[in-house]
Amino acid sequence: MKGAWWRIGWRNLGRNRRRTLITVIGLALGYSAVVVMTGLSRGLVAEMIDNGTGMLTGQLQVFADDYLPDRGIFDTLGGRDGIDVESLVSAVAADPRIAAASPRVYAGGLVSTGAATAAGVVLGVDPAREIHVSRLLTYIDEGRVPTPGQYEIVIGREMANQLHASPGDEVIVVAPGADGSLGNDLFIVSGIFSTGVTELDLGYAVAPIEVVQELVALPPERIHEIAARVDDPWAADAAADGVKSLIGPDGPNADVRPWTEFRPEMVEYANLATSMEWMLIVFVFGMAIWGVANTMLMSSFERRREFAVLLALGGGPGLIVRSVLAEALVLGAVALLFGVAVTLPVLAWWHAAPPDMSWVYGGFTMAGGLMRPILRVEWPTSMIFITAGAMFGTALLAALYPAWRSSRVPPADTLAGR
Amino acid sequence: MRARTITRTVLLGTALALPPGAHSQTTDCAGLSDPTAIVDCVDRIMRGESSQGISTMEVVTENWSRAMEMQMWSLGTEHALVRILSPRKDAGTATLKAGTEIWNYLPRVDRTIKIPASLMSASWMGSHFTNDDLVKESRLIEDYEITLAYEGERDGVEVWEFDLVPRPEAPVVWGRIGYQVRKGDTMPVWARYYDEDGELVRTMTFFDYRELGGRLVPATMRVVPEDKPGEFTEVRYSELEFDVELDEEFFSLRRLRDTR
Repeated sequence: MKGAWWRIGWRNLGRNRRRTLITVIGLALGYSAVVVMTGLSRGLVAEMIDNGTGMLTGQLQVFADDYLPDRGIFDTLGGRDGIDVESLVSAVAADPRIAAASPRVYAGGLVSTGAATAAGVVLGVDPAREIHVSRLLTYIDEGRVPTPGQYEIVIGREMANQLHASPGDEVIVVAPGADGSLGNDLFIVSGIFSTGVTELDLGYAVAPIEVVQELVALPPERIHEIAARVDDPWAADAAADGVKSLIGPDGPNADVRPWTEFRPEMVEYANLATSMEWMLIVFVFGMAIWGVANTMLMSSFERRREFAVLLALGGGPGLIVRSVLAEALVLGAVALLFGVAVTLPVLAWWHAAPPDMSWVYGGFTMAGGLMRPILRVEWPTSMIFITAGAMFGTALLAALYPAWRSSRVPPADTLAGR
Repeated sequence: MRARTITRTVLLGTALALPPGAHSQTTDCAGLSDPTAIVDCVDRIMRGESSQGISTMEVVTENWSRAMEMQMWSLGTEHALVRILSPRKDAGTATLKAGTEIWNYLPRVDRTIKIPASLMSASWMGSHFTNDDLVKESRLIEDYEITLAYEGERDGVEVWEFDLVPRPEAPVVWGRIGYQVRKGDTMPVWARYYDEDGELVRTMTFFDYRELGGRLVPATMRVVPEDKPGEFTEVRYSELEFDVELDEEFFSLRRLRDTR
């Protein structure tokens, strides 16, 4: 008997196919709009997090608990004694959520050609590891990464312009050492990177970690940071907890921070984007509900005589309400099928091949990260289902009033044509 | 009075530091009562002299401490050359001030580099002085409104205490400077530097008053940053000479590289 209601609903939809089609298209378009817009919004957030954390910081950092906020050259992991760098980096990388980890040394100093001098951060890295954690070294558009153990350095494009330096040129790097001396040495520019982020292109230089340690009088066991890549950025918090417990209370006094802590503005933006998704659902289906209600009202008005006969035969108002609601649910189901059939393939295509928008706009920075000029879409998995639910809810809600009206049709007057 | 010039050099020339007066005639400023006139008098008699000397700079920080022996030359307020004599690791490292430009010579790599304007607030040789201290050699009476804040006895010594507030258009970093001078010999006692919010940033104290190069000078100066009271930079003079034969050509990049 239960199946009978769906059949009745389905048949009723066929009474005025054109009107049904228009309503279905309206609802399906609403579904598509919400899912696609949500996908775009999540794509934007993912792009922001990817570039904001992937360019330099990584998604997780381990440093001495007194390193921030001053970032003193002395505040190395494990204090003056340092740490067993290899074993701690390996241990961090062993966490299943962490894809790669890389040790770093930071030195604030000068890069100079003599007549021209730029101030900046000289980042000491192991290029072979660093390339799996941050993308900075992949943005080298002239020259190559520095060779480990060699006095070679890559500098940002804007710093290179300021210094009039090219690959192969000699620069002097000066940085205050951990022993109070003024570390200075000659480096060969091995490459120039162009990230598009002015702060990096102007203020950063990268050299092999062991060379930077020598420059600032730090022994090999003293590093400032271990940066790590977490492929699912939303797993970074759990990964940080994992690393914290791995280091344990007996390990070096370390602070483990996921990007959600050192880039809180990106979390806030992501939260804002999520709340916008809900507003989008409310707006889109808030408008659609009137269209569906209109259809259902029209449809139920045309069937007044039918409802009057049912009531006259003792069918009862509940029967009428069920009939109209069943029709609305079937309408919702058809619209969902239609919407899913159109939306998901489009999303799949869009996700796989995001359109290049560089002909409209160039790359821009957002929350400190470079945004590529592409329309990136991420699968809004939860919203695909939530929007489906919202659409059924809309159809049902829109049918409530017509259903109630239909159940109140006066049988005698209606049948008499009054 | 040339001793004051060299003191300024040792202090990296900070006009704001208002370094000690060295007086061949301690009565130079005697009889003056207007605060601006007193400071101007002390300031004016220091101008246009050449000097050379040797001092030791001791820098103590939370993480390290070291002492450097330095030789320095100065000509007026525009030219100064400071060369580190020891320790060996830093020996030969030199700083040249010529007008508003600062150059460093690094003997390890045998190169000179120009310090950019953006680094003027950075520390000089790891001390509590900045490159800006070296360059800012303006006259106090031009940049500051000077008023007498106190006149009387402090710890048994008659002193003046001046309050220096920058003029609205003055290109200075301090919000206010407090400065105490002994009335008897116009020797400075301390200078206190405040930021724009009125917070004390650093204190410079002068002591060890004695004759060097035939003039009375405070032979030791100590700067203590307010936010790190355990840290300080102390400059002690061991030799001072005045009216030495120096001209502007002496303060050249070639001389900067000359490690002899």
